[in-house]
Amino acid sequence: MSGALAAAIAVGLAALGAGVGNGLIVSRTVEGIARQPELRGQLQTTMFIGVGLVEAMPIIAVVIALMVM
Amino acid sequence: MSYYENMVSRQRKWMFYLLAIYVLGAGFTPYQQIFLGLLLGGCVSFYNLWLLQRKIDAFAASTEKNESAGGLGSISRLAAAALAVLIALRFDAYFNVISVLVGLMTSYLVIVIDFFMSRFQKG
Repeated sequence: MSGALAAAIAVGLAALGAGVGNGLIVSRTVEGIARQPELRGQLQTTMFIGVGLVEAMPIIAVVIALMVM
Repeated sequence: MSYYENMVSRQRKWMFYLLAIYVLGAGFTPYQQIFLGLLLGGCVSFYNLWLLQRKIDAFAASTEKNESAGGLGSISRLAAAALAVLIALRFDAYFNVISVLVGLMTSYLVIVIDFFMSRFQKG
């Protein structure tokens, strides 16, 4: 029971952090595309790399939480 | 082809190469359990990469057209990773769990290496 609780807390905190990080990245990208639509490709690429790197952490958290549960 | 589409096709190409190496390793080396784990993680990682590329493209297109955008599909990617680990834990005679974790990180390695390589090529 306590193992499941610990796993849930770990996954929840990781998802919370990733959500905040993704939100910051996406908001700045949307702002950039709205200002300069011709730079969409480059901004999209930067957003992709940022979101990808941010999402690596919750995925590791999910995997480790499932392994130790 | 736009800058983003170029990057997407490059990354998919590298993922296919890596998956081919994992398949060869699983078929022709004695470390079958490790390579099968890498293959399972790599397949899920490739799905995650494809989903992320598709969602970000749709998101940027909807922003440009001033339409309401959907989500980025983070829950789907987390669920796919969890499913891969559950499969590895259930069939632990065939899949090494640590290899699955390493395989799941394949696409992120590809993203980072591709980013630096394209940076250095541009100069």
